[in-house]
Amino acid sequence: MKPKILWLQGVTCNGNSHSFFNLPNFKTLYDQFEWLYHPILPSKLSLDELFDAKPEILVLEGGLKNGWQKGQEEVVALFLKLASRAKRVVAVGSCAVYGGVFREYEKSISGVLFQGEQKSRWYEALKAKTINIPGCPAHPEWIAFGLSAAQPHLDSYHRPKEIFAYTVHSGCSRNEYFEWKVDAEGFGTKEGCLYYKQGCQAPYTHGSCNKILWNEINSKTRAGTPCFGCTEPQFPKKELFKTKTYMGIPATMPLGVPKRAYLTLTGVAKSFRIERLTQRLIDES
Amino acid sequence: MRVELLEKIEGEAFLDMECERGRIQNIYVRFPHYRGIEEILRSRPALDALVINPRICGICGHAHLIATAMVLEKVSGIVPTQKAKKIREITRFCEIVQNHLKWFYLVIFVQLGLPFDMDRVQRIIREINKLLAIFGGQWPHSSYALPGGVTCDPTQLEILQASHIAQSLQREFGLLFGDFDIKNLQKDLKKLFDKLNRLDVLHLGKGYDRFIVFGSDGYVQNAKLLHGKIRPARLEYVKEQEQPKSFAKRVTYKGKFYETGPLARTMIRGGTFVKRLHRRYKDSLTTRIFARIYEAAQLLQNIKNNLSTLDLSQESAIEASLQDGKASIAIEAARGSLIHTVEIENQRIKNYSIVTPTQWNLSNGSKDNLSLIQKALVGAPCTHTDLIFRTFDICSVCTTH
Repeated sequence: MKPKILWLQGVTCNGNSHSFFNLPNFKTLYDQFEWLYHPILPSKLSLDELFDAKPEILVLEGGLKNGWQKGQEEVVALFLKLASRAKRVVAVGSCAVYGGVFREYEKSISGVLFQGEQKSRWYEALKAKTINIPGCPAHPEWIAFGLSAAQPHLDSYHRPKEIFAYTVHSGCSRNEYFEWKVDAEGFGTKEGCLYYKQGCQAPYTHGSCNKILWNEINSKTRAGTPCFGCTEPQFPKKELFKTKTYMGIPATMPLGVPKRAYLTLTGVAKSFRIERLTQRLIDES
Repeated sequence: MRVELLEKIEGEAFLDMECERGRIQNIYVRFPHYRGIEEILRSRPALDALVINPRICGICGHAHLIATAMVLEKVSGIVPTQKAKKIREITRFCEIVQNHLKWFYLVIFVQLGLPFDMDRVQRIIREINKLLAIFGGQWPHSSYALPGGVTCDPTQLEILQASHIAQSLQREFGLLFGDFDIKNLQKDLKKLFDKLNRLDVLHLGKGYDRFIVFGSDGYVQNAKLLHGKIRPARLEYVKEQEQPKSFAKRVTYKGKFYETGPLARTMIRGGTFVKRLHRRYKDSLTTRIFARIYEAAQLLQNIKNNLSTLDLSQESAIEASLQDGKASIAIEAARGSLIHTVEIENQRIKNYSIVTPTQWNLSNGSKDNLSLIQKALVGAPCTHTDLIFRTFDICSVCTTH
């Protein structure tokens, strides 16, 4: 018997459903479950039949908001009813994990275990069975891991350490520029680190975006886009394309690095000029 | 009056329907959800819109990103390089292609109970998104376009990777759809046509036979098509109005309802395949369905052309300083014309307003001025409501941003 899975949506853009559909070997994973409901894939039940469903795995995509209609039901009641029957709840995407981007409009929106950085009112009831896979959207391989992993190691936000013990910075193709404190002069170049001026949050954001690449080929920072910290409860902050600095130094330090250590290393690195890192990698003209 | 739930349309909608003697007498579409995107943007630094707006929609968020970059450029009079424009077109077209394939199989084939090779279809869609990500960093929810250009700086190696994907996708398209020849439909096109024929629905779902395209790009040019005449489509004639009991706003052009999307684009663009279908089936669900998948194949060719003519020596992004002011732009998204309007004050967003394609196609009209969807449904057999709706490829999340 295949485990029954039900994918429910709250306040969402559907980004996680579509991200999930980018999974390599998708059909292999898809066939391992009996799909009671999925918002874009063929599944057994219609929305109005979900209240009596008995899923073993319940996926929530999107935030929980009182009064939000799912067919004839109200989403919070429907979610809690299904969650009480499920063996595992997987909160997929930052909206389901923390409430997400739409909290900027409506603060009452909540994730399953967290509302922003605070524990939600369902924390005690659901903490034992909930795995959080944040990201806006969550990476398809992360979602697959959340559905399949037997006993992932969870951090204080109930995120699997197998994914979120890394920072987005690890594996970034611009790491040399970070080491030697060479910043990108603007946008649209292969060269330079985006942490100093362009607002990149990769050094203090949990996620393996540069370890398991996006769409099997790239990442934001590799494509010259700053990391916006979308796996964290503070997402989205304001002024996303500009680094907040304090006396010329980024206001937020790389994860776990004391300011004094950072300043010492920066002083040393900046006292050398590495010729190669100040030049274009390829002269296109 | 009965209420029906329409689901798996990138969210849901409610249909208030009157059915008599098996025929639809009247229909009213309600979208129950609102997420406050335009409120979230208010008073944020202008560039933050590049991160917020893709989150309007999980399937066409990239169109919202490109529209945002373009409207901010228009406010400030910034003109990016040809290279940046072509790269943006490549990624936007990729998003449209993946959308059309998902709709064709996961919506239309599933609705009609037709079998398909999920493994293969998913792999093709994954590859298109990979091509996009070579430039965009990721899909969904890239923010790689910004006023002045794009953040990526591709090398010849990436162009080669992208070209190989485009070539192999063209081969896959050939295997799935054959040649787009109306006299000799092949493979999945034939399967679909035969099914529609058996159900006797080929002529259902006709609208007003009026089409509108606001965007202009390497694939299609701005135009409205009315009584066989082509005229420019101007944004100043677009009007948005609140509708009772729904979070979607009605949208009209000089008081009239127009169809936007792949059927509109292919009709305005010309081309024998869709023209021939239109001659026989007018703007029915048949022409609408086939236009969408035909467009996907055409766009693949545009993607290839853009890849082969990119001048990598140009800058990816030029220095751009943002000015205050107000502007509107339109681009073509998967489901049709997408309009973004912004007002910037002190480098911050004072107002942001978005008109989405589904608003054009799924507005509600009145008894003496039926909307497009009402026109397409009133008089049709009640049993085929769902199918006719889905041929418009509805996006609920976009409509009620």
